[in-house]
Amino acid sequence: MFGQFGWHAITLLLIAARWTVLLSVLAFALGGLAGFAVALVRTSRSPVSRTITAAYIEIVQGTPVLILLFLAYFGVALIGIDVPPLLAASIALTVFSSAYLGEIWRGCIDAIPRAQWEASESLGMTRWQQLRHIILPQAFRISLPPTVGFLVQLIKNTSVASLISLVELTREGQLIANANFRPLPTYVAVALIYFVLCFPLSKYSQSLERRLHVGRQS
Amino acid sequence: MYHFNFTPVFRKFPEILSGALLTLIISSLAILLGFAVGVVCALLRTNGPKPLRTLVSIYVEAVRNTPFLVQLFIVYFALPTIGIRLTAVEAGILAMVANLGAYAAEIVRAGIEAVHRLQIEAGAALGMSRLQILRHVVLPPAIEAVYPSLTSQFILMMLASSLLSAISVNELTGVAQLLTSLTFRSFEIYFTIGVLYIVLTLLLKAAFQVIGFASFKRWRRLGGANLVFAPVQRFRRMLESARNA
Amino acid sequence: MSVVRAESVSKRFGELIVLSDVSFDVPKGRVTVIIGRSGSGKSTMLRCINGLEEINGGTLEVLGHNLPLPPRELRALRVEVGMVFQSYNLFPHMTVEENVMIAPRIVKGAGRAEAREVAHHVLDQVGLGDKRDAMPDQLSGGQQQRVAIARSLAMQPQLMLFDEVTSALDPELTGEVLRVIGSLAREGMTMVLVTHEMGFAKNVATEVLFMHNGRIWESGPPDTLFSSPETPELQQFLNAGELRE
Repeated sequence: MFGQFGWHAITLLLIAARWTVLLSVLAFALGGLAGFAVALVRTSRSPVSRTITAAYIEIVQGTPVLILLFLAYFGVALIGIDVPPLLAASIALTVFSSAYLGEIWRGCIDAIPRAQWEASESLGMTRWQQLRHIILPQAFRISLPPTVGFLVQLIKNTSVASLISLVELTREGQLIANANFRPLPTYVAVALIYFVLCFPLSKYSQSLERRLHVGRQS
Repeated sequence: MYHFNFTPVFRKFPEILSGALLTLIISSLAILLGFAVGVVCALLRTNGPKPLRTLVSIYVEAVRNTPFLVQLFIVYFALPTIGIRLTAVEAGILAMVANLGAYAAEIVRAGIEAVHRLQIEAGAALGMSRLQILRHVVLPPAIEAVYPSLTSQFILMMLASSLLSAISVNELTGVAQLLTSLTFRSFEIYFTIGVLYIVLTLLLKAAFQVIGFASFKRWRRLGGANLVFAPVQRFRRMLESARNA
Repeated sequence: MSVVRAESVSKRFGELIVLSDVSFDVPKGRVTVIIGRSGSGKSTMLRCINGLEEINGGTLEVLGHNLPLPPRELRALRVEVGMVFQSYNLFPHMTVEENVMIAPRIVKGAGRAEAREVAHHVLDQVGLGDKRDAMPDQLSGGQQQRVAIARSLAMQPQLMLFDEVTSALDPELTGEVLRVIGSLAREGMTMVLVTHEMGFAKNVATEVLFMHNGRIWESGPPDTLFSSPETPELQQFLNAGELRE
């Protein structure tokens, strides 16, 4: 089965995989910063701010990643410059992450009982003090499992960048499969590399979730 | 300065709409079949013999930890080498069903495990068979409990159908790609497509609300404290109070 | 000077009238106990005093300030008014000591050493000096409630509000909490309590207000109020046994 598909191909795939990792880390970090801001605005006291961020989240979550990618790619091209696929992919996936992480973290903030807000309010704290000392520390703890879970989603979604010719793992697989006419071992190898990246993170997310609930039952 | 020109987009609207229709048809089919696969797998995972349980676990973990695009390529490009030749649409639907099935399996499994043991014991005490208990006592509340997660996943799958354009299916994104090569109005086209996907998302959400209302008696009793209808009720109440003020 | 002065206070939640024409006076160093059925408005009245709820009509003066207040003044007022809740509301991610120290540090700007000293003092006052490094979920309900009292005391308030602080506790644990509150009263703390503990009210209260349907139905010193109720509603309330001896 691994006739014309050998170690050379696997090496090429692994080298291409570093773009997958780079893109994931970049989008997660930048999207995370933006997402944090989105979550805070989404839970602010101004109904206007809340509605705007809610709309932003709905719009991004209601659009396929591929379309976000094309919009970034052709959108940036409007300024007239030659768009490197990595830039377009980074922009698209950062926007994608900011909406999903913003929604996840908003949910975690909302999960903190109102009683915590009232107790800290009654002690005379400002809203920022409440968030910084009381609400966010608690929200952070419960945000870990879904955040790690999202990272897995992000890594998988970087594969869509192959469709704007970013030579990450999936694209490299396409190129190799088109050259050696052995799509089965090639794409299975691609899948395996993604699996090796994602499975440990998935398991970690599950173990975080379990630990969270064990702690609660005491 | 780039001039936005949506006219070519509007002229090609019939093609765009037919693409959207194909997206809806493919997605609906995939959702129905994927849901069925998910329920069967969830039941096997919670009530089946150990080897089947392990098999389902492997299936679920393999699908959930690999990208849908790669799964699609395997079904369309790799399967022919072992004799399974499918058209692009068939391959797309199969990949979607396999993908959605795995996610649905996990979601429904969580719902099944959340059904209280006492309920099952009550069913057994009434003389119900294992299958009857599953069908009448376990599955309905399980599905109702996980309905939001389940329908979210369905909508995500509809959005993922956009990737079928990569194997030349002329669903909404595929049509868009065709049109960009014809008109070169790339940004306007993809913007319109984006809006259409949001419309499709809202349509599906509304449809799932209606289905939920029709299926779950508790929803009807709670008088529609649910997403789609609540704003409508609030609006009506506001009109009434404005009229009575 | 009165610590709390209410004159014809009224409050609505939408269409529902929760308080109407409530007037009372809490002089310095006195203990006022509010009793009544659930829904009578007693908790709402208490929550209006520290601004968690806003009044819609009448005058409410707390420590010389007229509520409602703008945010900055409200925060300053809350430094002087301590509130203890039915569900203790301790911060679960902090130790007992940190729970008590946090507000003096970040609201009053006390240094760490100074705040720690105050924390030790008030924790000793409530009898939990040895539990400084415990986490809230390691303590019993009564202990958690006493920490909540210490947390409010650490701010050195001029007025303490207690909202049914023993209602969520097992009977064995209420005693320790009531003892702490009683000793605070003897030391001259001005207090308003909403409670069902009749024995406590008899021993410690200077005035008892019976609320019914959002109004003060009867008021007076505990001895006369409990032994010779004037209105049928109060008689019914006392006979219904909602109060604990």
